[in-house]
Formats: sequence, C-alpha cells, structure tokens
Amino acid sequence: MKIRDKQTRYADRILILVALLIIIAMVGSSCIQGLRTVGWSGGGVSGDTLYVGSEEGRLVSVNMTDDSRRWSETLQGPATSGGLFGCSSLTGGCGTGGTNVAIYGTPVIDGELVYIAGYNGKVYAYTKDGLGIRWIYPRDGYLFPIVGGVIVAEDEVFVGDSEGIIYALDAETGDFIWAFATEIEESDRDKIWSIPAVSNGTLYIGSFNKKIYAVNTDDGTKKWEYLTEGSVIAQPLIVNGTIYVGSLDRNFYALDAESGNLKWQFAGDNWFWGKAVILDGKIYAGNLDGKVYVLDPANGNLIGEYDLEGPLAASPVIHEEKIIFATSEGSIYSIDTVSGEKRLLATLEEIKINGPLAINDGIIYAHTTDVDLRRINADTGAILPPISLKSGA
Amino acid sequence: MNVWELIIQQPLINVLIVIASFFGGNFGLAIITLTIFINLCMLPMTLSQIRSSKKMQDLQPKLAELQKKFAKDKQKLAQEQMKLYKESGIKPAGCLLTMIVQLPVWIALYQSIMLTMAIAPEGLLNLSRYLYPWGGVFAALPLSRGFLGLDLAEPNIILAVIVGVSQWVQQKMSQTPSADPKQSQQNQMMLWMFPMIFTLISLSFPAGLPLYWVSNSMVRIVLQYRLSGWGGLSRKPSEGNGKDKKYVDLIAAGERKSTDDVGADIVMPDSQQQPSKNRYLPGKDRQRHPRKK
Repeated sequence: MKIRDKQTRYADRILILVALLIIIAMVGSSCIQGLRTVGWSGGGVSGDTLYVGSEEGRLVSVNMTDDSRRWSETLQGPATSGGLFGCSSLTGGCGTGGTNVAIYGTPVIDGELVYIAGYNGKVYAYTKDGLGIRWIYPRDGYLFPIVGGVIVAEDEVFVGDSEGIIYALDAETGDFIWAFATEIEESDRDKIWSIPAVSNGTLYIGSFNKKIYAVNTDDGTKKWEYLTEGSVIAQPLIVNGTIYVGSLDRNFYALDAESGNLKWQFAGDNWFWGKAVILDGKIYAGNLDGKVYVLDPANGNLIGEYDLEGPLAASPVIHEEKIIFATSEGSIYSIDTVSGEKRLLATLEEIKINGPLAINDGIIYAHTTDVDLRRINADTGAILPPISLKSGA
Repeated sequence: MNVWELIIQQPLINVLIVIASFFGGNFGLAIITLTIFINLCMLPMTLSQIRSSKKMQDLQPKLAELQKKFAKDKQKLAQEQMKLYKESGIKPAGCLLTMIVQLPVWIALYQSIMLTMAIAPEGLLNLSRYLYPWGGVFAALPLSRGFLGLDLAEPNIILAVIVGVSQWVQQKMSQTPSADPKQSQQNQMMLWMFPMIFTLISLSFPAGLPLYWVSNSMVRIVLQYRLSGWGGLSRKPSEGNGKDKKYVDLIAAGERKSTDDVGADIVMPDSQQQPSKNRYLPGKDRQRHPRKK
C-alpha cells in the first residue's frame, strides 16, 4: 500500500504535467492550423531575372538562364513582437515575433527599381541590379500589415494596408504623396488585402469592409464606392471600361469603371480569392470551390466550367492560348481556350500553392510552401529541378 | 479533412459564424453565447464533477480523522480512505475522467475561435474549406473584431488579468481542502499556477481567446455557486488546510497519552501558550529581584 500511496502522488504530478502539456498543445496546434504568417509572394519577371519574396523575409533574385540565385536581401525592420507567443493580427498569428518579415505581395519591377511590401507594414524599393536599398517607407515606424502588395503606375507606388488606408508614394524617392482612408470613422474601416489596379487615372481596390473603391490617382479623392455582400480580397481586372472582381460573398461582379454601377453578377459556390483573367473574349475566374468559371464579359452568362478538384487561391497565368491554374494542393492544370481541353500538367506532392504563378519562356514558376521555387514546363508538364530560396542552400 | 475536423471543428466553426451573424456580426457575443451553449450541453458531466468535489469537501473532516487515526499505518489509511470513498459513492478518478472527456470540446472551441478570427492570411484561406454552404456563412466572414471597446484580434492586458482572477476564483471555489500538508501545498501551487499560466498566455493571444476563457470560468463559477455555494472561497483559513495543524494536533495531543504514539510534534496555539516559570518577565522579575544599587 505504500506503493499505492506513492502512486497517488505520482498521479498528482502526472495530472499537473498533463495539464501543462495540454496548454502547450493548444498553443502549438494554433500554429499548425494556419494561424502563422508565412507569406506567399509570387514571382515578378524582368528580362532574364525573376524576383520573389522568400519565407525568410528576403527579396531573392533568380537568374532564369541558369536557374541560379543572383542576389538576396533581407527586408529591414522586423515585425513588432507580440509577446510570449507573438499571436496577434499585427504580428500575424503565432510565433512570428522573430526577425523574419512575411511577404505576401509579389515584387513589382519598374524601370531600375524593384518594389516590395512586407507584412511588417513597410514598403521597400531596391535597385534591380545588386538589390541595393533605394528607399523605405515609412522611414521610421510602420504602417499596418501589408498583404496585397504594391502596384506602380504613373510614376507612383500605390499600396493598401490592414488599417484600411491607401497610400500613394513617389516611385523614385518614396516620398509621401497622398493617403486615402477608406472610411472617415476608424471603426468603419477594415483591412485591405487586395492588390490595387490602376487604369485611366483611377485606382480600384477592394476592402474587408465589403466595398470596392475607385480613387483618383491625382489627389486621392474618392470617385465612387460599391458595396458587395462580402469582403473583397481579389485584385480587380479592368477591361474595356469594366471592372471584374470576385468577393468572399461567393459572387463575381462586373462594375462600370466610370460610375461604379453594377453590370452583372455571377454566383459561385465558394470565395473568389485570386484574380480573374480574360482571354479570347472570355473571363476565367478561379474559385475556392475548385472550379474555374468561364463567363461572358458582356452579361455574366456561364459559358462553361472546369473542376480542378482543389481550391484555387493562386492567380493564374496565360501561356499562348492556355491559362495555367494551380490548386492549393499542388496540382497544376492548363486550360486550352481554343479547344476547351483541360489538362493536368503536374502534381507537386505534399506542398501548397497559394501565391500567384509566374511564367517566362514557357516555364511556370510556383512559389510553394516548402520554401522552394518550383519550375514546370508549361507545354510538357515536366517538373524541372526546383530553386531553393533558403539562404545558404 | 480528418475526422477531428469533420466531426468537431467544422460544425463548431459554422455554428460560431451563424451565431455571430445572428448578433449582427458581433464576434464577442458569439463567443460568449457559444461558450454558454457548450457548457449547457455538457451540464450533466459538469454537475457530476461539481457534486463529486462537494462530496470530497464534505468528507474532509472524516478524512482528517482517518489520517489522524492511522498516521503511522499508511496501508490501513489507504484502505480506510478507499472504503470511505466507496461508501460515499465517490470515484476519485471520476473528476479526472470528466475533465478528459470535456477537453477535446474545449480544444476544438479554442481552435474554432482562433481560425474564425482570421488572424493570419493563411488562417482565412484555410477557413474557407470548413464552411458549410449555408446562406450567410460565406458573406459573414471575416467577423467583426470589436467588442465592448476591445479589439478581439489583439492581446488585451485587462482581459488577461480578468482571466487570471476568474480562474483563481473558480479554482478556489472548487478546491478540496486536505489535511495532508503535502497535498495542501500542491493544491496551493495549482491554485496559483494555472491562473498565472493562462494570464501569461492571454497577454500574447488575441483577446477573443481570453474572452472565451473568462466566459467559461464565469459559467463554472455560477454553476459551482448554485450547487455548493462559495466553497473554498468562504472557508475560513483554519478549516482543513495547513494552518489548522495547531488545532488538529492539539486535539490529537488531548486524545493520546504520549507524542511517541504518532511521532508528531504537538503544536500549541498562541492563545494557550503559558509563560514558562523560567522565562524572564521584565516587570515581575524586576520586582522580585530588585537591582542592587
């Protein structure tokens, strides 16, 4: 019975230990379940160089002629610490109180500079050759987290942050030009994760507050706004005076670019997350339900649909008459817009593809969650050796 | 999607979103409502757990008596304790079992709250695969983060402190006093350790999670109060913990002839300590033995 008494005491200790383990498991599981910011930057191509943001918070340039890494530069200014586990919307989930800056936006190349934005709320401009830093905005402090990324037009850089504010910066110097708060009251504003689109002196962008905004690029004044029934994360597509954009309310909208009036809307089965493309007079919109909806741009009528059997978060690319889509589960499909044929090009096992695809010289570049830049031949579907984005690899 | 996600996590997430939609997208109210709802569903188990604790509390005088009686014979003590538990219909492992059964639901609720708040872009993207094709569920996301002036997506120090206090109160109410000093010490450690750990975690997690913990503790406090009153909170310090050592041992000393019987020290209460004859008493002794000049 002495043994039994000892056992009782051990049982008490085990109970405490189990309770502690459960707490740790709860914390740990939150990090596994997609609550940690990693980033899904796509690749931006200029000449024979591809620029991409890595999971290590670096801007990496890849020489596409020999598939070697040319330069790599760490984004300065780590994310603010979120305390013991670093879990907050500012730091981005759990365990990101470290030095790595998550990068969601695809680098944009314009002239001699490469522009990139980090989840730490900073916008960077680097020289194309050598990746020397040209400017950082803001020089001191941070904006709210940037997910959508930047766009360069009319010698200005435009970016929206998670505070619901759109900034216009001088592309050459990084100087502040104007800021547009999507709503006057701070409580009415919400995150902007959408990449802006610019056409004819107007910037179009979606917000978490379910609205699509049109803003004059000259002075940052609002032209119009359109209220959908869900948050708008996808980048708008502008064609012939019409804006095509999907929403988290499962609808795909066509709006008049000048007035913001609704032309038509089409209902899908899940969220429209990525940007749509237009080819041969048809709109191809990927949905998280795994389907590509082919729509008539004039009236929104469904022309056809392709089931790609996996959520379509990554924005597609066009290769000759084909549109290349990647599912989040790593399957890459091509849809021939002439023959209407769907073809599974390649399946990348045990990885996820959420960031936009890039293409150059018939090679598809997909930034995957295993910290590699995967390469697939767009014609044959052959999987080429990946390029590691890890520093020192 | 694995079995865990399909059976527990997915339904919880969708229910949470529907409740939030019902309250006009108010996520704070949705968390509180769902916590109350889950607690109601698990009420039979919770009540059984509280009743067991209450019975354990009621048994403490008898247990103390047994400990006193069989202080030297551990084997007999254990036998008698088990007999007493059996007679009173208490299963000591029952409380632990109830907790273990409830844990998966708490963990799923916790994960659902974290996912629904869409803290990281990856989280929001991941969330889409859990959604039922119900009207309003898709459009409701992401939910509003504001609640009573709090940003539920950011850590909040006030809420973290409330988590610690509410958990301390709940534990204190349910704590079973023990005549065993070691057990009592362990209870004290548990009483402080868990609230402190949860406070620390709350300081780093979005306020939505501490709000769930606070709501959960509040529900438990109300249930506990309805069933067994303030429990450990109202108990006087001299009842059933380390401080009553003087009291227990004094009675024990009265009952036994020699301290050798139990091998324990007799500890006299302060009020009953008599001044020793050999002790120097400044006033009296000075009168008895005046200083020589």
